[in-house]
Amino acid sequence: MSKFMAWIDERLPVSHFVKNHLSEYYAPKNFNFFYFFGSLALFVFIMQIITGIFLTINYKPDAASAFASVEYIMRDVEWGWLIRYMHSTGASFFFIIIYLHMLRALMYGSYKKPRELLWLFGMFIFVLLMAEAFMGYLLPWGQMSYWGAQVIISLFGAIPFVGESLALWIRGDYVISDATLNRFFAFHVIALPLLLFAVIYLHIAALHTVGSNNPDGVEIKQNKDKDGKPVDGIPFHPYYTVKDIFGLAVFLTIFMFVVFFLPEFGGFFLEKDNFVPADPLKTPEHIVPVWYFTPFYAILRAIPDKLGGVLAMGLAIFVLFLMPWLDRCKVKSIRYRSLTYKILLISFVISFIGLGYIGMKAPTPILTILGRLFTLVYFGFFVLLYLTSKNEKTKPVPERVTMYE
Amino acid sequence: MNKKYLIFFILIFSTHLTHAASGGQLKPVQIDLGNKASLQRGAQIFFNNCAGCHTLQYHRYSKFVGDLGISEDMIKSNLILTTSKGEKTKLGSTIVNAINHDSIKEGFGVVPPDLTLTARSRGPEWIYTFLTSFYEDNKRPMGVNNVLYPNVNMPHVLWYKEGLKEMDQNNILTVKVEGQLTQKEYEQEITDLVNFLTYVSEPAQLERYSLGLWVMLFLVIFAFITYLLKIEYWRDIK
Repeated sequence: MSKFMAWIDERLPVSHFVKNHLSEYYAPKNFNFFYFFGSLALFVFIMQIITGIFLTINYKPDAASAFASVEYIMRDVEWGWLIRYMHSTGASFFFIIIYLHMLRALMYGSYKKPRELLWLFGMFIFVLLMAEAFMGYLLPWGQMSYWGAQVIISLFGAIPFVGESLALWIRGDYVISDATLNRFFAFHVIALPLLLFAVIYLHIAALHTVGSNNPDGVEIKQNKDKDGKPVDGIPFHPYYTVKDIFGLAVFLTIFMFVVFFLPEFGGFFLEKDNFVPADPLKTPEHIVPVWYFTPFYAILRAIPDKLGGVLAMGLAIFVLFLMPWLDRCKVKSIRYRSLTYKILLISFVISFIGLGYIGMKAPTPILTILGRLFTLVYFGFFVLLYLTSKNEKTKPVPERVTMYE
Repeated sequence: MNKKYLIFFILIFSTHLTHAASGGQLKPVQIDLGNKASLQRGAQIFFNNCAGCHTLQYHRYSKFVGDLGISEDMIKSNLILTTSKGEKTKLGSTIVNAINHDSIKEGFGVVPPDLTLTARSRGPEWIYTFLTSFYEDNKRPMGVNNVLYPNVNMPHVLWYKEGLKEMDQNNILTVKVEGQLTQKEYEQEITDLVNFLTYVSEPAQLERYSLGLWVMLFLVIFAFITYLLKIEYWRDIK
């Protein structure tokens, strides 16, 4: 075996790679619950690709037969229903995981020096993922697929001068049509997954260059033993591989429970209206995006002006890119930061969830006021963070990481 | 698989039931996909009364063999009523009918909708409530109206079973003309029909719940073993 590996290593640095990225890649030993979501996100990405390939085998990207081909998968393809539910549930769980992954970064300051690029790559993944999910949602060609896409693409029409032609260019037609379905299919199954793959690669490459942050926000590389190994670091393999397999097993238990027992999730993961084939002549009563877009959709609706709403929605996503520079506090982890930051972050999370709820509901006067309030809190987080973080009163950060059992 | 568990899970986790609560005026209906006899009766009612106008265009006749326990001969002689160019529709075909879209549109104002997914898009309670909410209304072309779906174009096809109800000033329906069945028997038949349509809307439900229990069992054990493995490896980390 070792002779064989030597032969390989002379030609391809496999052992070197395994050492660098697994067996001698040191990660902080104090990872908590929130540190499962990176590896889980990677797992779900691969699962989406594999289930996606199987769906593509039987799916027809054609306005006349797309809906029927999905039902064909659900009924006549062996295990088609399972593959399809794994893919549709996987989309929702991808966002649950990504949101928790991002919350982790906000809690422990994982976007701060030297991890700014890591955060930016992560944000690009988030934006690509939203595009990927949005285009994928059109493919079943149900009523909500159709009208959701119609509403979102028409938003581009609000952009002055070029808006209408831009929307036309995206759709390839005056309304969502077969042409739109075909191009969305191309983007969903090839263009965006390839891009996602590339940016995920960069994200992990950047991570392995700077090393992981941890719940204490202590740089483990600043405290090395005589062999040059971080004293608070442990080899990723086997320690975090076994830990992440356990995390994966728990995740799969929850995930498969939803796949088998609650695939529609009460209309959140698969909307009722989407079991009606797309009909360009019949608008559904409420057009609601899928739950993972509703926080941003609520921000859009909170602004009375269409262009203003579109800009606010874009800004809500863009401002996240700026986190490494908006947060001027040197201390990373929320454990050693001021009460101000804790209150700000909690308000931000509440406003995000609140907006998500409001975005699902038909507008009422009270919900509109609440939506505006939460929008204010959402943006207020970034403004107040910028203002307060420079001279924040922080607690002393320990030299070494702390372990809780 | 244990039938009780199956029914239990269908009742607990069926998202359809949660829709009923939010629907307000919708009447609850007990869906029991483990009850093959009910599904078979539902199929019988569907093909005797509905299939002339409504299709189940995503579903295949052949599925009834394994799913509902109806024999091929029975399907060929009793359920398949259509022909294509003089030849009887094949067992593996999807469930369509021979209506002429233009003439039926002229007669009823609309093409009767396909019903394969109605139990998913509107919910079983909606279908149940709809089919028990017809009442006499001589102002309508078909002589009937519907409480749930006012001014619907569909005639009360099952009136010969239910009889004809009329609406009093308080908007309460009472039986005016007796049908072949009592109200209770009629409601049971509609329950069977809705049960059947719920099965048609997602045939995978028949195996989804029972298979899911085994998957859960495996994953819980797997998670426990990986937990022990993690503990074992991490023993020396302090």
